[in-house]
Amino acid sequence: MPEFTYEFTTSEVVPEFLVGEVQSKLAYVDEDINKATVSPAGDRITLHLRQSPDKLRLAELEEKTQRVVLSMVKGAYKPKVQVLEDHLDRPIPYNLDPHIELAARGEISQETQGVFALGPLVSRLINYFERRFLELADSFEAAPYRFPTLIPARYLERVKYFQAFPHSLTFATHLREDLDAIDHFAQNAACQHDGALTVPLDTFSPIQTLLSPAVCYHLYFALADQSLPQGKVVATAVGNCFRYESINLSSLERLWNFTMREVIFIGEKEFVLENREIARQRMSGVFEEIGLAYRVESANDPFFIGEFRKQAAFQSAFQLKFEIRARLPFKDSTLAVGSYNYHQDFFGRHLNMTLPDGSPAHTGCVAFGLERMAYAFLAQYGFDPRDWPAAFKEVGL
Amino acid sequence: MDDHQTTILAQNIQALLVEALRITQAQVTPDLAFGDLPQWDSMGHMEVMMLLEQRYNVEINADTIATLTSVAAISAYLQERDHA
Repeated sequence: MPEFTYEFTTSEVVPEFLVGEVQSKLAYVDEDINKATVSPAGDRITLHLRQSPDKLRLAELEEKTQRVVLSMVKGAYKPKVQVLEDHLDRPIPYNLDPHIELAARGEISQETQGVFALGPLVSRLINYFERRFLELADSFEAAPYRFPTLIPARYLERVKYFQAFPHSLTFATHLREDLDAIDHFAQNAACQHDGALTVPLDTFSPIQTLLSPAVCYHLYFALADQSLPQGKVVATAVGNCFRYESINLSSLERLWNFTMREVIFIGEKEFVLENREIARQRMSGVFEEIGLAYRVESANDPFFIGEFRKQAAFQSAFQLKFEIRARLPFKDSTLAVGSYNYHQDFFGRHLNMTLPDGSPAHTGCVAFGLERMAYAFLAQYGFDPRDWPAAFKEVGL
Repeated sequence: MDDHQTTILAQNIQALLVEALRITQAQVTPDLAFGDLPQWDSMGHMEVMMLLEQRYNVEINADTIATLTSVAAISAYLQERDHA
């Protein structure tokens, strides 16, 4: 497919600490953008377009792009980077992109953009990591929960998710209860060349549910509008999560549909913060045992353009989020495979989840992306089990 | 800072919080702090910080954002800045 590029000067220079964030958001500027890059100096943007635009269209694309830059850059706060652990220099034997080998072995099968079926090797590795994360959950005597894949729109509305992450939502609907509409669909439904189903939009029921973007939200909603009788909760669950990331979706690094194991803490501020820290220390021992090269550093969630500047600055200022970033030696980069999060009393206040004294409950969670864990491990240790740390003997390959 | 200046500063902070948080003057008490009102949440806090930057022509860094969480703290920050 031919590609057209358009390069222009940014209205505001994008500071180094924002280049990645701005670049990832440019994916959402227009459907014609196939790839967008911000120059390292932050003063030029190159758009790679799916079709040749006329002058008017170019002006429109540039105006929309500049709007993103302006919104994210003007008055941006430089994040305070705090590194809690740094084991990036841990010796590791592999330095190739595991995606290529995984595909060659038939271990991954792409169903659509950001959606992969996983074969026995990756599944066994995920099962192994799951066991280790469950050991962590057990060490806190976390109560097990199972949550649905669907989540009501009214839940996400209540915690302002639509304002914070509109770009990553995935909607679920069904055919309207209408015999004629269902009959018509059954007889005419077909996919176009690009895989899109040709169905008139009015055939669908109004959207009341979405595919869940996170695991812990379900627990907060289950405990909404009530007082926690014991004043604290520790729970764990694993679930499918969905975050649409457009052209940023890439191999097992960035999936649309992924699996997350969480250990969730609810209670007073000190209880949540103390347990988040204990969890980090316990996981530090696990990561040492499995030989992971990684760093734990402060981070922010990928808020959408309108809220990014303020929310990201707030998260950074109050050190609410720390990511476990595993080394990807083949690209001299790191990948977030998990995070230690504290939400203050955000969910407690918005969901009326209270402590026995009537004050809003504080919440926090420790979350691990299972596919990313497996991917990062293979990126560091490769495919020969003889090169793997002793802890992996039980994987059974 | 004399009594007159202290009063002016308190009035300015009150006006700033009213504007940033979209609350009434009566809601701004001397012991008001982050989280006391639904409006003074994370987004509200950052509105306060940005308006502070604008009004007083200061650059507030991440460390300071985390400390300016009450009327008293904002007042102390501005007094210190005036003495600097």
